[in-house]
Amino acid sequence: MKTDSALQHQAPFWAIWANPIVRRYARSRMRPRALGISLLITLMIAGFLFFVIRQVGIYQAELSIRDAHRMPIIPLLFFQGFILFVLGSGQTAAGMTAEADEGVIDYQRLTPMTPLAKVVGYLFGLPIREYATFLATMPFTLWAFWRGEVPLHIGLQLYGVFMIAGVLYHLTGLVAGTVLKNRRWAFLSSMGLVFALYTVVPQASKLGLVYFKYVTIEPVVRESLPYLVESRMGAAAQTMENFAPAAQFFNLNFPQSVFTAGTLLFLIGTMVVMLWRRWHRAESHLMGKAGATGLFAWIQLMLLGNALPLIEPSGRVFLSHGARYFQLEGGGWSPAAGETLAMSGIYGLVTLMILCLMTVLITPDRTSQIRGWRRTRKLGRPKLSFQSDPATSFPWVFAMAAIGSGGWFWFTKKLVESAWFGTTDMPIAILPVFFLVTAVGGFGFHALLEGKGKRAAGLAVILIGIAPLLVGVTIGATGEALVPLAVWISGCSPVAGPIYAVLTFLPLSNLPPDFERTIPRAFWFWQGVGLLWSCKLAIQLRRSRIKIATSTQ
Amino acid sequence: MTGKPETNGNAIEIRDLRVDYGDFVAVNDLSLTVPYGEVYGLVGPNGAGKTSTFRVLATLMEPTYGEVSLAGIDALEDKESARRIMGYMPDLAPVPSDLKVREFLDFYTHTYALGTRNECRSRAEECLEIVSLTDQRNSWCRELSRGQTQRLVLAKTLLPSPKVMILDEPASGLDPLSRRELRLSLQAIAHEGATVFVSSHILSELAEMCSSLCVMNQGQILASGTATEVRNQLGRAERQIAVTVLGPRDNIASWLASQHGVLEVTKSEQHDQRVILRFTGGDHEQAALLSGILEQGVAVKSFEEKSSSFEDILVKIAEDNRRQEGSPDEN
Repeated sequence: MKTDSALQHQAPFWAIWANPIVRRYARSRMRPRALGISLLITLMIAGFLFFVIRQVGIYQAELSIRDAHRMPIIPLLFFQGFILFVLGSGQTAAGMTAEADEGVIDYQRLTPMTPLAKVVGYLFGLPIREYATFLATMPFTLWAFWRGEVPLHIGLQLYGVFMIAGVLYHLTGLVAGTVLKNRRWAFLSSMGLVFALYTVVPQASKLGLVYFKYVTIEPVVRESLPYLVESRMGAAAQTMENFAPAAQFFNLNFPQSVFTAGTLLFLIGTMVVMLWRRWHRAESHLMGKAGATGLFAWIQLMLLGNALPLIEPSGRVFLSHGARYFQLEGGGWSPAAGETLAMSGIYGLVTLMILCLMTVLITPDRTSQIRGWRRTRKLGRPKLSFQSDPATSFPWVFAMAAIGSGGWFWFTKKLVESAWFGTTDMPIAILPVFFLVTAVGGFGFHALLEGKGKRAAGLAVILIGIAPLLVGVTIGATGEALVPLAVWISGCSPVAGPIYAVLTFLPLSNLPPDFERTIPRAFWFWQGVGLLWSCKLAIQLRRSRIKIATSTQ
Repeated sequence: MTGKPETNGNAIEIRDLRVDYGDFVAVNDLSLTVPYGEVYGLVGPNGAGKTSTFRVLATLMEPTYGEVSLAGIDALEDKESARRIMGYMPDLAPVPSDLKVREFLDFYTHTYALGTRNECRSRAEECLEIVSLTDQRNSWCRELSRGQTQRLVLAKTLLPSPKVMILDEPASGLDPLSRRELRLSLQAIAHEGATVFVSSHILSELAEMCSSLCVMNQGQILASGTATEVRNQLGRAERQIAVTVLGPRDNIASWLASQHGVLEVTKSEQHDQRVILRFTGGDHEQAALLSGILEQGVAVKSFEEKSSSFEDILVKIAEDNRRQEGSPDEN
């Protein structure tokens, strides 16, 4: 039998090959039969993609050997992305949930490995077969790189960021698997989450939220594209790339690959912290209150840092700036006022959504509040520690609303006061309006979540956040006469708040007569209702917290 | 409390432990100590707070408040140190479906860093031998019977030679033979110096196995000590005795009803020569009762204790709980 001292000698967390969890999954997920079938299917698909595209290039398109070998690179990259990003993330989430579902996760909690070693073990252990099948496709890629004469640094840069993105997506799956209870749901929702976060959300980059494109490998693929496709396409890609050469974060001009890698690594660090907290203490929130507020501020900084330098002189932040290349007519380009208003509204909306997401992460449920108060009473303290999980998240939501509305105002001010719109000024009086919109949505959601629980908050999101929009749009589409009614109904949703605020107050706004009166009235009415409702919920929440505090005395 | 395990004093110390689930209080200011080398039993009906207590002890759950020390290590503050000296076996212990028995144990020998590959293997073999599962080493975990699964998890728990073992209902779902084997295994482990803290809702079983035990109900300890002490503390040392006589039973039934310690005498409906009495006396009083019956000149065919008083205690506690839950005052 070993002594305690032997137990102290665990391998360090970064020694992936020595991690017992990685070894455990290497055994169970790499059994010859299952692995053999996976490898066979993968090799067949990768081989087919490589050879058929190469042959078409050489014999049908009559490309040079170099160009013909470059052609399969992108299709292979898509296939590798499917294996590593989609299947790998799904497997990670489902595997984590299966451990919890079978109940064996408790054993794992009890092993004297550090929380970080456990995170690393699951991160690289659960998708180990996907890593193996990914590696099986690499000979085709390497062959294509060699014969396609792709520079080494391009390959390293592309696959370096590809692997970092893979780790981030698997971490997303791991977080989903840690939070969700049902293994099938975990598999599907993690794939959906990865798809949404890293495919759909980055589309917002085209509407001014440039930062979001750096959570994908797209900037690096674009940067590398001239070397990954045949010569003529490569030249075209190079021309396009010349228009967006670098990540102009506050005009610091980082290479795209470096900025993308930095962004992905930051998100990896954030998710590792979330998982570490859960492994360290199962009841912990995924993020601490100060951490979540800091992350919110960081996202605002990233959004602004990436968007502001692109407003002027280039105007690349505008969607129509990119689209102008496809227009045949000549002449100068300038952004439309409507486009600018939409960008500002979307910025406000995304800020509100991120605020709600952070609120979910840091808001305590009733059990946590009761436990926190009882513990505090036992320790003889008068009140809960400000930053502790059971403490109210209200001040932090307030801080985030202030930061978010500030960021939104700054972004809008830069857009409106840019050279594209002459001497238009953005009055400072709009800042309190932006704060009102962010705070009403944020506080209402927070008070509902903390006071009534997750179900009530979820139901409110569906019935108040989404349903009025759907009804409004449907009514609006029925006929012009019903548009004012549609505006009033849609305005009930906090989602409409930022858009209505922008349309009501921005100097660029030039609403048609139908909307000129309806939107401001609907905006003020619903903001007033929202404010009163939020106050009522906040009062109820305060009473409920006081009741908990006194009942635990 | 320090990060190094102590070897004198108590193996387990719980002070003012409280666990809440919303408004429900699962464990209510529980305090208890378990000395080294004991097999200590925790008994109580469902919902008594046993599993919550064990999960806190096993560092799987944060209590509302309280202090927990395992071999001198603060289990709430220094979880990793506590986990090094503690083994935990949950209620209805699960096993992973995608591993074989030896792979399952190999995995945990590595997570506990028990030495070189050969040392790990030999430790796994040792533990399989202790629980008599050596023949199953190449079986899939999912193919094991309930009893074999329980024993496999016990083997896993034994791997790091824990100083404190926390076993939550280890005998649940086991047939009598497996239960007996498990009991013998636990006693052997305790003989080797480990402290075993075990829970069960089968009180008589724990009484046989444990050197001390405590009865828990609604998050609080009702009684603790040796089996006899617990019986005395609860004041409900009541047992059923069935007396079968040759000939008419009416006389002896009325004589028994007048004896000290006899609460009630009923005539069996199934057997016309049998009387059943509820008796609260000790072992000596029970022996004297038998002598008294014989002195009455009655031919006794059998004198049989029908159920242990421990079971009655637990049944009564559970019945009281149900009565309280159903009481309109509570609602």
